[in-house]
Amino acid sequence: MRTGDYKETIGQLVALSDSAVVWGWTIALIAALLLLPFFMGAYTQTLMVSALITIIGAVGLNILTGTTGLISLGQAGFMAVGAYTNAILMTDHGVPVWVSLPSAGVVAAFVSLVVGIPSLRLKGLYLAITTLAFAFIINHIILYADALTHGPNGIFVNGATLFGLDLQRGKPLYYLALGLTIAAVLLALNLSRTRVGRAWMAIRDHDIAARVMGVDLVRYKLFAFMTSSFIVGVSGALLSLQIRFVNIDVFAFILSIEALAAIILGGLGSVAGAVLGALFLSFLPEAIRLSIATFADPSSTIYTDYVYEIRGIAYGVVIVLFLRFKPDGLIGFWRDARRYWSDWPLAY
Amino acid sequence: MAFLALLVSTGLVTGATYGLIGMGFALIYKATGVVNFAQGELVMLTAYIAFSLAGALGLSFFPLMLVAVPISMAIGLVLERVFIRPMLGEPVFSIVMVTVGLAVILRGIVVLIWGSEPLNFAAGIATTVVAIGGVPFYLAQLYLIGALALLTLLTWLFLRFSRFGVAMRAVAANETAAMLTGVSVDRIHALAWMLSSAIAAIAGALFAVNYKLAPDLWFQGLKSFPAVILGGMDSVVGASVGGLIIGVIESLAQGYLGEGLRDIAGFVVIIVVLMIRPFGLFGSQDIERV
Repeated sequence: MRTGDYKETIGQLVALSDSAVVWGWTIALIAALLLLPFFMGAYTQTLMVSALITIIGAVGLNILTGTTGLISLGQAGFMAVGAYTNAILMTDHGVPVWVSLPSAGVVAAFVSLVVGIPSLRLKGLYLAITTLAFAFIINHIILYADALTHGPNGIFVNGATLFGLDLQRGKPLYYLALGLTIAAVLLALNLSRTRVGRAWMAIRDHDIAARVMGVDLVRYKLFAFMTSSFIVGVSGALLSLQIRFVNIDVFAFILSIEALAAIILGGLGSVAGAVLGALFLSFLPEAIRLSIATFADPSSTIYTDYVYEIRGIAYGVVIVLFLRFKPDGLIGFWRDARRYWSDWPLAY
Repeated sequence: MAFLALLVSTGLVTGATYGLIGMGFALIYKATGVVNFAQGELVMLTAYIAFSLAGALGLSFFPLMLVAVPISMAIGLVLERVFIRPMLGEPVFSIVMVTVGLAVILRGIVVLIWGSEPLNFAAGIATTVVAIGGVPFYLAQLYLIGALALLTLLTWLFLRFSRFGVAMRAVAANETAAMLTGVSVDRIHALAWMLSSAIAAIAGALFAVNYKLAPDLWFQGLKSFPAVILGGMDSVVGASVGGLIIGVIESLAQGYLGEGLRDIAGFVVIIVVLMIRPFGLFGSQDIERV
């Protein structure tokens, strides 16, 4: 058990971590991630980039749903806004990627006000339904605003270069995704330790009590909407860079479910949980594919024929099992293990 | 004028589906306080089961329903026992997320069993056209509207007069107090799921006959949300009235405002209703005490 661990200044209290060991492992992890592209093939790299994009999306949703307690089923809508902003700016207006990528986040943040302001009076299930409605309305607008979005034809996204590097394939794409992931994680971690983060948690725990204590609900709820959608919008833009083509089929309802599943199974309200959950969910379909390839008849086409259904069932099962047996998620396992060892031999 | 009458009549038919599905939502919400996001999937699953039964037994519509409804009720009971019951006492958010998970699972299972091709399902209903006041209706469309009227009346009578119905309203009003007066809350929850699945079976079969039986039928569940919100989440009769109104609004929006608006008119209505009157037309207003 750790003893004599006194915090004497505010700085020490709000430090990201006070443990040299944690810092050491974090640096080792980042170094490993930086070196990874030199040891893996193209396929693994694609998977890693998809996983990183999912992580960014989950970290963004976690701010809204995990930290502030506003349930959103509109993740796919915000991602679509980000992806389309990026695609339209790059392809139709020739804007360089270092401008269009942040603009995607900014546009998504402002669009989130359109759903955020009418939702101020709502919470819980009603909010979930409004955000769901919002996602469908966004899809509809994209489909019918031909002049801007090319409607059902979609938009090809090509030519994202920075300093002569092609940001849409290979190592540059990986490093871009990794850098943005680290930025998103740092943003979420830092926000959660400030006045803003504490206000969000107060709203989540009891909004009326928070109001009584002087938390401005309107301002902080809208800020949560905007921050979350900014991050989600950037992840959508990154997705458009990776797949090089956007149309509304990419942003189906299942994306919203996937993001919610990720933060639930990681552990609601925890940034590390969101990262773990997203990572787990990104590799889950791959694990299913491999296990089918290993154990089932190799000529069977069940996985390729029903890839969406199998993924859907897997997400559903994961959501149900975790909510029932481990409501604090993957991060809960980590906390249990840590408590066991740090309190040993007085462990429960 | 004929155009308007046609729009209203098609609107009433789609609205009847929304109403039926919405009644299922409202029953579960009323008794258990949970929005069942898997209601659309329940409708789809029971419709496919009715399809298989019709193929195997070759029954006409009413005998088919006599077989399909009890099976659906059993499915509702099983789902409640396996997925929802163990979550009793957890936060509402968790239970709702379980229904979201359940929804995705059911959606996948239906495609794995029945494939993704649309199927033709006649359910033994003749394709005769009947004209009512100059507006033509298919027989199946009349069945749909008739089913909505009948089930609304039955549900209202059930909630108003039957012992179980009164108990269900007691649970809705105050779960702990109902438990203290000797109502078995567990059983009421199970009953709500069974009744909701029964309504889902009828809604699913009739929808499939009128339109088509395809794995995107679950989407009708999401499209029925506007009906429930408009009627008030905890009002079963409200859901059926709300369904008809939403159906007509969608149809008019499509006819007069522009193509494609049919798909989102309902969702626009949701946002407007939630801003002006969040508890709907017939719902009871929540008063939060700190």
